[in-house]
Amino acid sequence: MQSKIHIKQTQKRHNQWLDNAIKYILMGFAILSSSFIFIIAGVIMVKGVTPFITNNGGLGRVNLADFLTGSTWLIGESFNSNLYAVGFLIISTLFIAFLSLLISFPVGVLTALFIAKIAPKKLAETLRTVIEMLASIPSIIYGLFGAGIILKLVYDFSTILGFQSKGGNSILSSVLVLAIMTIPTIASISEVAIRSVDKSIEHGSLALGASKTQTHFKVVLTSAKSGIFTSAILGIGRVLGEATAVSLVAGGRRSGINFNILDTTSTLTTMMLEGMKETTGLDYDIRFSVGIVLMIVILITNFTLNYIKRKVGNVDVK
Amino acid sequence: MRKIFLVLALALSFSLAACTSGSSFDDSKNITVYTRDTTSGTRAGFMEGIGFSAAAGSDDVLVEGFVIKDNTGIMTSMGTDEYGIGYVSLSSLNNTIKGLNFEGVAPTVANVLNDTYGLKRPFMWMVRDTGDYESTEIDQLVKAFVAFLGTTDAADIINNNGAIALQTTVTWDSIKAQHPITARNNSNVTLRFGGSDSIQKVAQALTQAFSAKAGNFVAEHDHTGSGDAYKRTQTIGLSDPVSKHVGFSSRYFKDTEKVGVATSDMGQLAWDAIVAIVHKNNPVTNITAAQLKAIYDGTYTKWSDVVSE
Amino acid sequence: MLNSRRKKDLILQSITYMASFISLFVLISILLFVFLNGFKLLNMDLITHNFESTSYIADLKDFTGPGVFNTNKDFDDHTYYSTKWGIALSDSENLMGHTIVLVTYVHEDSPFNDLRNKGVATQDLMLDVDYEIVRIAFDDGPSALSIQGAQNMIQVLDTKTTFRELEYSTSGGGIRGSIITTLYLIGLTLLIALPVGVGAALYLNEYAPKNKFTKALRNLIETLTGVPSIIYGLMGLALFVPITISLTKATGANLISGALTLSVILMPVIIRTTEESLKVVPDDYRHASLALGGNKTQTTFKIVLPSAFSGILTATLLAIGRIIGESAALVFAVGTAIKDHVSIYDKSTSLSVHIWAMMTDEPANIELSTTIAIIILVIVLSMNLSIKLISKRLLRKYGVTHE
Repeated sequence: MQSKIHIKQTQKRHNQWLDNAIKYILMGFAILSSSFIFIIAGVIMVKGVTPFITNNGGLGRVNLADFLTGSTWLIGESFNSNLYAVGFLIISTLFIAFLSLLISFPVGVLTALFIAKIAPKKLAETLRTVIEMLASIPSIIYGLFGAGIILKLVYDFSTILGFQSKGGNSILSSVLVLAIMTIPTIASISEVAIRSVDKSIEHGSLALGASKTQTHFKVVLTSAKSGIFTSAILGIGRVLGEATAVSLVAGGRRSGINFNILDTTSTLTTMMLEGMKETTGLDYDIRFSVGIVLMIVILITNFTLNYIKRKVGNVDVK
Repeated sequence: MRKIFLVLALALSFSLAACTSGSSFDDSKNITVYTRDTTSGTRAGFMEGIGFSAAAGSDDVLVEGFVIKDNTGIMTSMGTDEYGIGYVSLSSLNNTIKGLNFEGVAPTVANVLNDTYGLKRPFMWMVRDTGDYESTEIDQLVKAFVAFLGTTDAADIINNNGAIALQTTVTWDSIKAQHPITARNNSNVTLRFGGSDSIQKVAQALTQAFSAKAGNFVAEHDHTGSGDAYKRTQTIGLSDPVSKHVGFSSRYFKDTEKVGVATSDMGQLAWDAIVAIVHKNNPVTNITAAQLKAIYDGTYTKWSDVVSE
Repeated sequence: MLNSRRKKDLILQSITYMASFISLFVLISILLFVFLNGFKLLNMDLITHNFESTSYIADLKDFTGPGVFNTNKDFDDHTYYSTKWGIALSDSENLMGHTIVLVTYVHEDSPFNDLRNKGVATQDLMLDVDYEIVRIAFDDGPSALSIQGAQNMIQVLDTKTTFRELEYSTSGGGIRGSIITTLYLIGLTLLIALPVGVGAALYLNEYAPKNKFTKALRNLIETLTGVPSIIYGLMGLALFVPITISLTKATGANLISGALTLSVILMPVIIRTTEESLKVVPDDYRHASLALGGNKTQTTFKIVLPSAFSGILTATLLAIGRIIGESAALVFAVGTAIKDHVSIYDKSTSLSVHIWAMMTDEPANIELSTTIAIIILVIVLSMNLSIKLISKRLLRKYGVTHE
């Protein structure tokens, strides 16, 4: 009897040892994944903080307050001035991100709903594959599409409205390009979430007499809230961080906040990208400072979105 | 069924908006000014050429509301925007846009060579200091390459790829005896080239031609920008994987980039002509430096200002 | 009462249909754009040839003077024949879409059949069909360049009695090296990113206590989503390149460091998507497994993970898409040197970076970029379909139903 109990106890300890080992290995993976943000921050900080604390080769320190609130990228000549500012870029970046999400979020989620629930199986499978394919197109091709087609459309569109657009380079073009890029991401992730909603909830709603549409909107979508929100967060991350595609359609505005969607604009990322290869000295380091500002903007956006997500509440399907 | 019709109707109206017919040129419209960004060698060359050097490095002095584009962007923009004006390198010119004569001279290779066309920028090269190479073979090969750049054979390659070579009468055959390293088999030697990506095509053609003359060494091209011509040959040590043996730049080297560099370690290999371009519907065919400066600094704001002259 | 509800339903339904139609319309426009622009240069040779072309320098051997080489061959409008030298040249386009002068016929007695190699190798050269002539140099006058066209070259040749030097090359511009690199990168990155990502997601959802530390971990991982790819590239250059140089036989930027950089970019997507699909696995499954005597490890790996399979699959496919589409990070982390012999310990370009290199040309090669995009789409489609096929079989084998 005692030996049997002994075996059971060793087995239990053995199992626990295995469980704990796995737990710590997986925890290691999680901690590793989350540590990268610090490494990235470190890399950017090294270059990005120097304009504010060193003399920049005789040009003088960049004033932090002016940098964050100013409305002209650079007053004076490149390599001869330290009057950089990104204030106006922060606002235009957020404005563009908000507008593009305004388009891509509803379109993406509704498309996901369509694929997951309404479309016949064959069509749904094809659509899913098409969307996954499009998520893999390099962003530069979206930029080319924007530059080739969307610019022309916006230019003609604004001629109809009577506004002389600058070749179509505008907030509207950037928003459209970004929306097109994020629709695949939002659609695929939301679709996974919608598909995973427990069928019993759906059947219950139908059994209670709700119509199919009512069930879709009031029951399925709300149950998949968490996943749909995640897709929005990942989508906005992509929007805020996209540089190449936007730089081909934005216009490179150098000063002033602009809310006219048919006029040119600039974002934090396009400003960072421009000339990143060809430049040296303060002009090069300052782009890392812009990177720091961008990361703070992303942090705040994610924080806000997560806060909203918590307030709106998670539906517990377990 | 109804829903599908509704949707199709909307799609149709959208596409109708897209198909507006071409209109005639209205010269009361504003001029939309396109430019490269301040780090571009093309911009520096253009601004110097029109007498507006202050705008080479500074955006303040430009007219309000200019649009910044890269090389391809300016070309495609000029294809859409009927009221725009911009500038590109001669090698990029094609028949989707209209290149303007500068001061009465047409933008052709012949006119650059005989020095009548005034808008141009230099293609420059820079190499590492003597002795700062992994081996003497690489050192000698680089020196041979530099000598090659001054021959008619290299001039042929440069001209063949859209740039404009400097005049020379030296042939490679006449000087190759001074570079015995090229007579041996160098297929195990790799030379690293980098710098401006505007010069990438020319650089690759040059190394391909020279490799056949110099023992078939391997040429590795990694072009990341004119700034890296100096950075990766003079400031970054050989142990760093991004270091290069030869760097190309599409602008003159800045004073800060010439510090500590021997005159034999840098030089010019070609010119590149810059052409002012407009939309094909634009009636303007010739433009002067003064007009361009007036457009870019905001004195002229409408096309009627230019056309009336 | 019923009518207003039906009206509301109708509105919602039409909005849904419209949204899907907009998505479909837009996505099809992009596909059309890519196909229409890129179709011209699509060619099997593009996929199989090397990128680098080799140049040969030659001059005439034992030459006594040009002769008369008549031929009965019929040449089309774009081909020009020189009876004095016995070769026919035509204007053509190479794989990259650049105009070249192509050799289309060499008369059997033409002096171009027997050339001396001016380079280092000793073997004789001969001009053959499908070679591209770059230039012919003369002692008495300017060279005939390929940019001036085939007709000009023949005309100049006809006025000369000898030439100093002939430079010709084999065709290049193929993307085979970049295709191989892309496949290596997909394999390496998935090998690194999937275990770490799925593992981290498992930890966060199954093992981690619901405290501030876990929340903080999640937030930190999420902040990775908005970082521009350029920054990742710089981080990869600063961190992974030195690590791989010291741990492997790499001597510079290499594909392993590129794969590591890509893994970091994919981390939030994989973790979040996996987490979402883990969350939806009903607790009943977990409780049942534990009640039956399984330990936590068995429950997690044998019950929960397979149930979340389709979500993980989506995450994988999205990851593959992102790997193939990512260019800026790799440009900075691995560089833009296009290679024909690909090794994971050395640098080379993925298809996306190849597009980047083509786009920075002056003028940018938009047609070739869209052609490569078509090839990318074909690769993604085939990977997509095969992965789905394999997973369907696996699911059937393990008997986990989810639809």
